[in-house]
Amino acid sequence: MAEPIVALDAAMPAPSRRPGRMTVEIRQTSPAGQKILIRGAGLLIGLAISVAILAWAGVGLGNLANEFVYAIFSDSRSVASVLIQMAPLLIAGLAACVAFRVRFWNIGIEGQMIFGSIAATLVAITDFGPPALRLVVMLMAAALGGMGWIFVPVALKLKLGISEVVSTLLLNYVALNFLLHLLYGSWQDPKSSFPHSEQYDAIERLSPLGWENVTLALPLALLLALLLWWALNISRFGFFTRFVHANPKMAKAIGIPVLGVTCAAALLSGALAGVAGFAISAGIEYRMTQSFFFGYGFSGILIAFLARNNPIGVIIVAFFVAILFVAGQSLQVFYQIPGAIVQLIQAIVVISVAAAEFFIRHRLKWTR
Amino acid sequence: MTSALELSGISKSFDGFRAIAAADLDVRSGEVHALLGENGAGKSSLMNIVAGLYAPDEGTIRVQGRPVRIGGPLDARRLGIGMVHQHYKLVKSFSALENILLANPEGGFARGRATIDTALARLADSIGFTVDLTKPVGALSIAEQQRVEILKMLVGGARLLILDEPTAVLTDMEAERLLAMLRHLASEGAAVILVTHKLGDVMRHADRLTVMRNGKTIATATPGTLNAGELTKLVVGTTTTECAAPAQNVGAPVLSLTSVSSGGNGRRETLSDVTLRICSGEIYGLAGVGGNGQTELAEILMGVATAAAGRIMLEETVNITHAAPKTRRAKGLAVIPADRHSYGLASELSIADNYAIGDVYSGKYGGVLRMKSSVAQSAAGVAVAAHDVQGVRSLAHKAALLSGGNAQKLVIAREFAGAPRVILAHSPSRGLDVRAAAAVHARLRSARDGGAGILLISEDLDEILLLADRIGVMNRGRLVAEFAAPADRQAVGEAMVSHG
Repeated sequence: MAEPIVALDAAMPAPSRRPGRMTVEIRQTSPAGQKILIRGAGLLIGLAISVAILAWAGVGLGNLANEFVYAIFSDSRSVASVLIQMAPLLIAGLAACVAFRVRFWNIGIEGQMIFGSIAATLVAITDFGPPALRLVVMLMAAALGGMGWIFVPVALKLKLGISEVVSTLLLNYVALNFLLHLLYGSWQDPKSSFPHSEQYDAIERLSPLGWENVTLALPLALLLALLLWWALNISRFGFFTRFVHANPKMAKAIGIPVLGVTCAAALLSGALAGVAGFAISAGIEYRMTQSFFFGYGFSGILIAFLARNNPIGVIIVAFFVAILFVAGQSLQVFYQIPGAIVQLIQAIVVISVAAAEFFIRHRLKWTR
Repeated sequence: MTSALELSGISKSFDGFRAIAAADLDVRSGEVHALLGENGAGKSSLMNIVAGLYAPDEGTIRVQGRPVRIGGPLDARRLGIGMVHQHYKLVKSFSALENILLANPEGGFARGRATIDTALARLADSIGFTVDLTKPVGALSIAEQQRVEILKMLVGGARLLILDEPTAVLTDMEAERLLAMLRHLASEGAAVILVTHKLGDVMRHADRLTVMRNGKTIATATPGTLNAGELTKLVVGTTTTECAAPAQNVGAPVLSLTSVSSGGNGRRETLSDVTLRICSGEIYGLAGVGGNGQTELAEILMGVATAAAGRIMLEETVNITHAAPKTRRAKGLAVIPADRHSYGLASELSIADNYAIGDVYSGKYGGVLRMKSSVAQSAAGVAVAAHDVQGVRSLAHKAALLSGGNAQKLVIAREFAGAPRVILAHSPSRGLDVRAAAAVHARLRSARDGGAGILLISEDLDEILLLADRIGVMNRGRLVAEFAAPADRQAVGEAMVSHG
């Protein structure tokens, strides 16, 4: 017991002689304006880093402004391609948004898109149902296809407690290989022998709106966003999802059907992802190709994250990500920048905004 | 004689809120010094500054007469300061020895282990501790975990030991043993700071005491010069003494459990064959040391766990044994859960949301298709005012911002909104200060006098004796004894701990 006190002279000089230091304090509250400011700063820092990387890769500032602003907004064809690109991104963002609202981490959006498109294509190539309703049947088939593909992880999670992060992610690869099996096998285009499905008939395509090449896919996506906004922000179901998100234990004790709400949201997420696949196949490519889904899963997660799981916010973020996609394509063509730059910029922006959250919860202070 | 610790003019603000305002404290070697105060008086914050977890905004700290700057827990340890926090800082899957080693790195792992092993043997011998150091900490009882924490500090050379609410989780007997041990440490020259709001502990075991109120240290005294009433007055500002008020109007049974058992499922705490009946207009107090089946019983009554056997009836006619929580609530069951932030509130959501969820199925706050948040807001506003929930700057603020007592008032406001027939109140005043606890007790009494039947589960025997009209005792998952009020404290206490 008689341990000596550690020699004080060695340990601590008087306070005044010490230099100051940075301390971290927890913020109890953060006003709304401050939150927006901090997140905005995170976004700007992410964009600045992206610009620096692009500049280093040989795209000057002037060229960037040209590609991202002038070239896109000066000509209606480019605006149209942004809007065309926006539709599936928006739906994929909604798919992520609804799942994240109940803390179901759906990383398998691409797999569900694949099965959505497979189901729609099945309807298209078998000419199932009356022609007048063909598109509606394809839409419903796509929703069911995506829902069916997410059903497995949902059941595994609820019955056996298996993490949906792992199961949805791995099922992406299963879906991809099944897609390739079809496209290199029985569904190969008989006309060209390329590994994609035969072209959809005219009645199986989302029809053009009459302005540039923009199709019904965009109004469909916007309508889904509005519906989801109602479901999550207005309806009682949405009120329940907030409790399931915030505290599932309490939600269960107070009488909310936690299992049902979680299941419904996860299945809805799969259905929306399936519809996103349909929007690409029937609204952009008019057939099922072997890489139509590529990049949408991650982008959907990013869009939901930046929109803070708000469907209206998803519309706005999806628009900007669509610009990134379109500009990325021209960077690829004119500056030989690899297409992966789009993913890279997305990742940098996500990390910056996520890091900014730290400053919403904490404050740095210089003390002496 | 120099002081072991001397704080002068310490201030600390959190986000504009002044938690500590120019506090002074003087603790001598060889004494047990009690730091008293209500919840939120700033006791823990002040001690966290001494332990190096917070940096003070102003003020000076002297250890053994020398001014020091405590920049972190490591500095505190070098200065011989050790703090046992209210929530232990232990790695549950590590053994006790490994936990102690982790906090006191000594050269290499193997050599450190040997050094610490001998140091521990010597220590445990001198203070009479018995803990199996090879067991994982998670398998130890709460009292044993506390001993590991104390050993951890002493092995590290702590000569100033701070204990934050150490007796809150202990049985009477365990608490006595702990306090006796602390006295022994002090007699060997250490300084002990006992942070508590149990006046009894202070009167019996402290050499001196300092009272904190609203972030200020308002008095230092010796317990002998004050009586309990004067001390209470110092702590809360005004004297409040609660008196028992027995039930006047006991009616028909509103909740009956018949041979209820839990499935066990390999869980430590199980419930076996519990039969009890609660009538309208009475408070039934269920006493027992924590971990004897109370939590299982509460979860089964809430409907978040299912009974493996037995029957639960509301009002003698409605069988709710397998009913969902929603049905139970619709039939008139209200719950004040033990852990407000786990079963009681969704802390991240607004105060209005947390209030409105209780009655969401009535359609009062909008139908399935459209929630009317403005209606919910105004209803919450009325309830918050009626239940005197303090610190509500806006109903849109997160419930997490409420202090413990006010969060509990919010839970009660929600649960009592539907004039419930049966109320399950599980440790309703845990962690609340004297005044907030009295307010909660008054609500329970008035609900009882309004005709509700109340099942009060509490580990605090004083609370049970104060409130209950009948008392049952839980021991190892069984209901082992029942008493009518006024009950003999000794007899109830014996039933709680007997192993017969």
